[in-house]
This record gives sequence, structure tokens and C-alpha cells, in this order.
Amino acid sequence: MSKLIELTNASVTYQIRHGASPTLKETIIRSLKREQKDVRVKALNGVTFDVEAGEVLAVIGRNGAGKSTLLKLLARVLPPTSGRVQIKGSVAPMIELGAGFNGELTGRENVVLYGTLLGRSPREMESRSDSIAKWADLEESIDLPLRTYSSGMVAKLAFSVATDVPSEVILVDEVLSVGDAEFQKKSKERMRELFRGKSAVVLVSHDLESIRSLATKAIWIDHGRVKKYGEVNSVLDSYLNA
Amino acid sequence: MSQNYDSAARPRIFRDTFLALWHHRALIQILVKRDIAVRYKRSSLGLLWTLLNPLLTSLVLWFVFITIFSARLPDGTQFAPYLFAGVLTVTFFTQGFNQSADSIAQGAGILTKVYIPPQVLAFSGSLSNAVNFLFGLVALAVISLITGDGISIEAPLTIFVIICMLMYVTGLGLMVAILYIRYDDTRSIFGILISFMMYLSPIFYPKEILSERMLTIVNANPLTSYLDVFRHVFSNTGVATTSDWLYMSLSSAFIFVIGIRIFSRAWPKTVVML
Repeated sequence: MSKLIELTNASVTYQIRHGASPTLKETIIRSLKREQKDVRVKALNGVTFDVEAGEVLAVIGRNGAGKSTLLKLLARVLPPTSGRVQIKGSVAPMIELGAGFNGELTGRENVVLYGTLLGRSPREMESRSDSIAKWADLEESIDLPLRTYSSGMVAKLAFSVATDVPSEVILVDEVLSVGDAEFQKKSKERMRELFRGKSAVVLVSHDLESIRSLATKAIWIDHGRVKKYGEVNSVLDSYLNA
Repeated sequence: MSQNYDSAARPRIFRDTFLALWHHRALIQILVKRDIAVRYKRSSLGLLWTLLNPLLTSLVLWFVFITIFSARLPDGTQFAPYLFAGVLTVTFFTQGFNQSADSIAQGAGILTKVYIPPQVLAFSGSLSNAVNFLFGLVALAVISLITGDGISIEAPLTIFVIICMLMYVTGLGLMVAILYIRYDDTRSIFGILISFMMYLSPIFYPKEILSERMLTIVNANPLTSYLDVFRHVFSNTGVATTSDWLYMSLSSAFIFVIGIRIFSRAWPKTVVML
């Protein structure tokens, strides 16, 4: 099996600045006075794991443990401060769906824009836009401006675009509950289908029941460090007993 | 596109930046289209709206200055096309710079979730203002024909001015984008600097009225070389010397290269602040 995601001793350090809003004026004055240096926080500390094609890795841990930072690292949005991140193939992040949508454009134009942001070709998105709208039950409003949509409709459309084509790497951040009950059922079904495919999936969730049924392995992160990494049930059991 | 990623790969700043722009050309096209579409969708005037702003600005300035100067400049050319060419160029510069510099802070919602090379956003910002400039050229051509100045046979050389301005505002935008994200108060500082640059360039006054000392300062402003070259090639309402051509090309290339370099170096430490 090929490793699509490989992290080797990856760490991320944030610099946290004092004061509410950093201004140039304040920064200059501070450096002249030589007071209050920036505080460094290690959000991730020496994380090592890999995900092969077809595997689903669940990331668990308390709020602030470093799960979001890990997703950013995998989405290539953040570079590691030290260590190494290697990813093979295209990455589809299903993180806060709808980032990049524009209210003035129609649903269809947004489908093309969002798909292109995710790295697909605009022409392909245009030809797929009808089936994407149909899957999201939005055939009637797809050519209306997005600002006329309810937030649920926007989320449905975003989900439909993001899951339309499987990517080599899929990153999921608690998006399993989108829209009304009926749509939730439909979207869960689609997620399961995607997870059963050849993609490498990283799933961040607090829903331990879903994790047990969806994931093949799990990693437990605490204060930026890997507490336990391995088969999903054994990691979950240690997490619950902690 | 090749999508393998290795954080340990040694970055090659210029190759990486140009490849990123090339790989994302479809996205750039969409972002520019979106930008223009959003701009005109909000108004019933449609695409005319993008032209209305420079036209009205020119009209106001024209009314003001026609009372100071006459309708003709000292060398006999008409004031209106001279003025409108100036307003168009400066609009390209200021809006291109603002949009390019702002694009990255404003794109934080996307940039922190999906991998998009941020340079793509900055370049799209300048490019959509180049498109607006092209629309403006149509209006300028009409004005030039009405006033009898006509269009020069060298007008196609305007494309060179556009390319230089694109590089100039993208380079500046990239540098300043880093400051905008890191320090909240830099926005107002640059607002002042930009208007300073505007007034120290011959947008609405002819260079002939300047004293020797002021002329040296105005000529040192890169914006002046753009104005000179553009007016000269488009409808011969300005004088472009060899040093204007050189200054325009070299300053744009220099700022572009420096901008890409500073940005690429600073970005890994800046992205965590978004």
C-alpha cells in the first residue's frame, strides 16, 4: 500500500503577541523599550504518523489539543516549523465548508469558483454543476444569487461540491451533520462511500460513535503531543479511560 | 497539475511563484471574472459603472482645472485627454495596489483552509485592475477622438505599460500584504504614502508649470515615468524620454522581484497570524 500522508516528527510553533491588536507603532516602541518578548507556543510537538490509501485516520483530543493545527498542516496551509510533511496527490479539505463562497454570484457560479479553489478545472465544474445542484436538492435555486440562500442551503451546496469527486486525500472537520435530517442521512451515506474508496482520509471529530464505525485507525493528541496512535478501538478505549 | 507536496523540499522562490501562477491560471481567470462581475452586478449601470468612477473623477478635475489652466496645455494639446489618461493610470496604480495588498488579508478565510498560493490572489487583484484599465482605454480613445488629439500609431505599445504596471503593483502589493497582516496600523500609513505619490506625479498638472526643484522630485517618482510613456504612446499628449522608458521598466522589474522575494521569505511566519 502507498502512504499518501506521511508526517515525520512535525512540530508547529506559534508566536503569540501581547496586547489586543498588534500595531507597528507599538511594536517599535516595545522593541525600543526592550520589554515583553513574544511568547512561543508549541501547538504540535513531534507528531509522526502516516495514512495509506483506503485508510481512515480519526484525530481525537480535547479542544486546544492541536487538532485544527494538524488539519492546517495536512491542508498545506501551514508549513511545519520543524519536521517533515509529505503528501501525495490532491487534497480535498472539508473544513468549514463554504469558505470562498460569494453572495453576489449565483449558486452555479459559486460551484465553479469553489471547485476551482479546491483544484478542479472550471470546465469540469461547469459540466458537473447540474448534478451537483441536483444532489443538494437545489435545482430550482441554482441560478439565483447565493445571498438569497439560507445557511442550510449554502452548507448543502458546499458539501455537494466538496464530495462530488473523490480526491487522494480527504480532510474532514466535523461536517457530518449538514442540513436537515433527511439530508444528514444522505450526506452520511455519501461520506461512508467516500471513506470506503481509495482515498486517505483524516477525520477530526468529537463524535466517538461515528469514529468507531468509520475510522480504521486513530491518533490521540494532547497538548500538541501524540498520546496514543494505533488501531481505532484501542486508542478510543485509552482516551475514554483517561 | 502535479500535487505532491514535501515540506522539506528546498523552496526555489521564483520558479515556485511562476509555476504557482501558471498552475492556477484557471483560478486567476475566475477570480478576475468574479471581481469584475461583482463590481457591475451591484449596479443597474452594469459594466459602465467601472468606467463611471474615473470619468467622474476626471470631470470634476477638469472643471476645477479648466478655470486655472485653459482647455489647452502650454504646448497646445487638449487638457481633457491628458487628464483622463492620468486619472486612468493612477486609478490602475492605486486600486491595483490596494486590491493586491488587501487580497491576502481578505482571503484569510480561504487561505487558512484550502491550499492556494497567496501570490495567486495578489496577482488576480492587480490583473482585474488591468482589465478595468483596458475598459478605460476605450473611453479615452473616444475622448481623444472628440478633442481632435486622435490616437497614435504607437498605441499598441500601451500593452508594455500595462505589463510594467502589473509587475509594479503586484510587487508592491505582496510586500505590503505582509505588513497589513502583521500590523493593523500600516493600512493608514500606506494610504497617506499613496496619495503623496499621486500628488507628486503629473496627473492633472502639466510638468511645465513645475519649478526646477519640484520637477526633479516629480521625475524621481516612478509613477511619472508611467504617465509620460502612456500619454506618449497612446495619443502623443506627453513626452517620453529614454530615461522614462528605462525608469518604468527597471523599477517595475525591481519591485516585482523584491516583492516576490520578501513575500516568499516572510509568508511562512505570517500565515500563522491570519
